[in-house]
Amino acid sequence: MQGLTKATYGFHRLDSLARGNTAIHKMDPMTKTITTLIYVVIVVSFGRYDLSGLMPFVFYPVILMVISETPLKPLLTRMAIALPFCIFAGAANLIFDKETAFFIGSTSVSFGMISFFSIILKTILTVTAVLILAATTPMAQISKQFVRLKVPSLIVLLFSMIYRYINTALEETISMYTAYRLRAPGEKAVKMKDMGAFTGQLFLRSADRSERIYAAMKCRGFSGDYDHIRSGNVPRGEWLYIFILTASLLVLRFFNLSVFIGGVLS
Amino acid sequence: MHMADALVSPAVGVTMAAVSVGAIAYSVVKMKKEEDFDEKKIPLMAVSGAFVFAAQMINFTIPGTGSSGHIGGGILLAALLGPYPALLTISAVLLIQCLFFADGGLLALGCNIFNMGIIPCLFAYPLIFKPIAGKVLSNGRIMAASVFAVVIGLQAGAFGVVLETSASSVTALPFGTFLLLMQPIHLAIGIVEGIVTGMVLVFVRSMRPEILKSSAEKKSLGGVSIKKTIIVFSAAALLIAGILSIFASSFPDGLEWAMEKTAGTAELANNGAFKDVAGSLQGQTAFMPDYDSGAAGIVGGLITVALTGISGAIIYLFKRKKACKA
Repeated sequence: MQGLTKATYGFHRLDSLARGNTAIHKMDPMTKTITTLIYVVIVVSFGRYDLSGLMPFVFYPVILMVISETPLKPLLTRMAIALPFCIFAGAANLIFDKETAFFIGSTSVSFGMISFFSIILKTILTVTAVLILAATTPMAQISKQFVRLKVPSLIVLLFSMIYRYINTALEETISMYTAYRLRAPGEKAVKMKDMGAFTGQLFLRSADRSERIYAAMKCRGFSGDYDHIRSGNVPRGEWLYIFILTASLLVLRFFNLSVFIGGVLS
Repeated sequence: MHMADALVSPAVGVTMAAVSVGAIAYSVVKMKKEEDFDEKKIPLMAVSGAFVFAAQMINFTIPGTGSSGHIGGGILLAALLGPYPALLTISAVLLIQCLFFADGGLLALGCNIFNMGIIPCLFAYPLIFKPIAGKVLSNGRIMAASVFAVVIGLQAGAFGVVLETSASSVTALPFGTFLLLMQPIHLAIGIVEGIVTGMVLVFVRSMRPEILKSSAEKKSLGGVSIKKTIIVFSAAALLIAGILSIFASSFPDGLEWAMEKTAGTAELANNGAFKDVAGSLQGQTAFMPDYDSGAAGIVGGLITVALTGISGAIIYLFKRKKACKA
């Protein structure tokens, strides 16, 4: 049940990080989303044996993290969530793909090892890229951007409201769980036979809360829409940033910098 | 069951994203058209989304095994809110999990919405849950409906994960072996999750019968035939996949053409990079790049990583110095 407390803490952490005041934070959220998407697509477009081509892509998260002053620890803890399944899928390559690709010194490196490390590296790169986006963009701005992208207001409203109430739901769950633990000492987790009442009760409390929220929203003139946000445009200078970044990513995609540097040295 | 970005290829990611966006848009339209749609449902959906997020984190002990499990929530939400609101809510939760918790990737979001949202809400719920639960609800029927719907929904979802990962050709795990690993595990998870889902619904029914009654009495998916929905979705998926594969096969040629124009030779195209695009897009597992320079490539890669680290450190020190002065 530690996960609950961790999640509550994690929310506060990203929230406070997103309120920073660096060049990355000040960037238009649209710019950041476009570049993150382009980066993720280019990274996953690498073939499974192209580990050396992938390595120079480390530059993007590293430079962004330094400029945006994003600490490493919250990124690492979240990475732990994404890695296990990828390690599982990658480990299969170690077993099924044993043919030797090349030698480093006298140790042979198999194709499986290359593809294993390329999956791990891809996971690290894509996860950090998305997390840096979240850690430098406040929630309100993300919703604003959805409105600009003409996402239906119902979905934008849902997205921002769920985000807002996750904390409340987590705290509610923690206090219910504490109460449960006090009544059932020595239990590691909720007993399965109690799950119906436990989770059902949690839902009913949530439903009651939604009634009160609705009343409060109505009092403030809620009409079912979310269109009070004025849309803006991506500043011209940032288009240049998008263009230059995309161009350099594409160059790195088709020109293997690692092989080049390795070749020059040997 | 959340898929990460590293496990999907761009073609699979974009195809599934298109399918999911289509399903979400369709659900928004259907929800707004429903006669009894009132805006009161929006806060209920939002709070239920937060509820599912928290509920997924409640560990419970599974008797006799010593292990613990947690619920997924697709069928549960569909039964409490109705299929369309449930899909929208689950999609928003998945987006939040991907952005803030690294649970599932941005490019893989389409796959995740399909496996954990569209399958349970738009297929398992109307095709399995509703017919078994029937219009006159009883605890036994709710229980049976939950177990069957969750098990089948989870099996289909796990199958989706296997299909999407294999189509992306990132793992050397043979399709059959992967399937044999995934399906039985999710059968066990599904049975437990189904029972718990049923217990939650039975509890809610005993406390507030009107919540389940109102979603049970609704006509099957607002009068839209399920068959039509399935046909439209499969047609859309095929169409998009078809367009993408045309794009994929013409893409490298286009690049080679551009290379020839600019560099005067297509020679560069043969040293791995371009074939690689074709390979990853079309899922050709047979492709082996030129590995004469393999070791040199890895060494060079490590050097670039080191250089990146050094430049990162320099920027960091520079920024700190500036902050100290200011």
